[in-house]
Amino acid sequence: MASFLIPSWVRLAARIFIVVTVIFLLAPLVVVVGVSFSESQFIAFPPDGLSLRWYQTVLSDTVYTSAFWTSIRIALLVTVSATVLGGAAAIALHRRMLPGSAFLATFFLSPLVLPTIIYAIGMLMFWSAVFGPVSFVTLWIGHTVIAIPYVVRTTLAVLSESDPFLEEAARTMGAGRIQRLLYVVIPQGLPGLGAGAFFAFNISFDEAVLSLFLRKPGLTTLPVQIYGQLEFSPDPSVAAVSTIMIALTVVLILVIDRMLGLQRFAST
Amino acid sequence: MSDRTENLLLAAPGLLLLALAFFLPIGQMLVLSVDGPEGATLAHFSRFLGDGFYLGVLWRTVRLSLIITVICALIGFPLAYIMARVGPRARLWLIILVILPLMTSVVVRTFGWVVLLSRNGLIPELLRDMGLAGRTFALMQTETAIVIGMVHVLLPFMALSILGVISRIDTRLEEAGRTMGCSFLQTIRTIVLPLSLPGVVAGSLLVFTLSASSFVTPNLLGGPRLQVLAASIYKSVTQTLDWPFAAAQAVVLFAGILLVLIPYVRLTASDNG
Repeated sequence: MASFLIPSWVRLAARIFIVVTVIFLLAPLVVVVGVSFSESQFIAFPPDGLSLRWYQTVLSDTVYTSAFWTSIRIALLVTVSATVLGGAAAIALHRRMLPGSAFLATFFLSPLVLPTIIYAIGMLMFWSAVFGPVSFVTLWIGHTVIAIPYVVRTTLAVLSESDPFLEEAARTMGAGRIQRLLYVVIPQGLPGLGAGAFFAFNISFDEAVLSLFLRKPGLTTLPVQIYGQLEFSPDPSVAAVSTIMIALTVVLILVIDRMLGLQRFAST
Repeated sequence: MSDRTENLLLAAPGLLLLALAFFLPIGQMLVLSVDGPEGATLAHFSRFLGDGFYLGVLWRTVRLSLIITVICALIGFPLAYIMARVGPRARLWLIILVILPLMTSVVVRTFGWVVLLSRNGLIPELLRDMGLAGRTFALMQTETAIVIGMVHVLLPFMALSILGVISRIDTRLEEAGRTMGCSFLQTIRTIVLPLSLPGVVAGSLLVFTLSASSFVTPNLLGGPRLQVLAASIYKSVTQTLDWPFAAAQAVVLFAGILLVLIPYVRLTASDNG
């Protein structure tokens, strides 16, 4: 709306509203970061003193480091599997040559709409009945299923804005199927595939519900470890781990913004 | 190889994975929910629906989810409207500020609220200092704490759902309304709100389902006394190890969520296609 049409009291109210909302959205994150630099034994905000001792504790505590490596390993595997499977599916969906394309799109997006807890309990029961005790592979497969819709969405969004005649042109000029995929379609969808890959990493790394249902000794991811500590007796070391996770999220958001543009992601 | 075969080959691995590792497990859960020592039984369901405790859990889940959805809509609508109408730089910043918590692990965010709401935390202390609360005032382990934490977790979903719709509204409609004598609030009420209703409804359905199926935040902020349905499922799976009963509870949740999800999928299908 042209700016002279907005009364000044509305501008003022909007400013106040935005400030309050932003404080609300950021408060818990700021508090976690603050606590992590505390010198005291106890969780307190504002923190008492300033030190890096809890980071030292975290980096030398095998409970945290092993959970960290478990999380990283799963997240990296999920990034690869979800991007390959979801990306290939998105290319097929984009071409709209399969029967029931609309149904297929819903099929691929369904893990996104179904609450994770329902999937988590099904996966636990199914795996136990068919394969026995859950393992690293169970979690890998489970996270891949949850992450695929994000890759499908980002890749489809990018492909739908690309020039469809480029592939036709390549075909008439004699490019084979593989060549067309490698040199035309995949480069066209690359920003979407890239953003989807980073989403997949983020989802797997942060995921708590499936990981909690499939938890067992030796299969503890970082969010599960933090959850366990919170149920028991948290000390500022939990804040230090959480801060590391927040920092990683910030990096991922910046990367996704570079690849795809957050504006676009927000409206798709 | 025909084009069709090529596309089928591309989609097949993903299709197979989702069929075997997503739909099959959900089917397994449905089967287990009617599993008894002597064949199929509805005993787990009658146990759930016949027990006042579990009905209380169900009622708390529905009630809290409704409250959380309404609060998210009340904050999310103005937030999305402002996001859509500010300049591009400010919009990018607001989007980052909304997405940052969205992409941070729920466990981490809830931890932040545990610190803020605990007995000696910033918020109860502030309320006590301002004389708004008594000495024994506590927020942790209350439904209020659950609502605060859940609104924080789910507000980004609501704001982004509404933003998607509002940013497609032609601003000239509002200008026309204003120049023809509507007050600012009248333009919002008679032009923006009706046009953004699909976004508000889609966001509300999404927030409701996510809220009804959360247990991490309710467990950590509400404690074991204030159980919600998802927390009760988690308890049945990990503590009492009563899997058929857990499956029955999950089916109850699933049925309730499907009622909400079907209109949601209808509403958003046009966006995804």
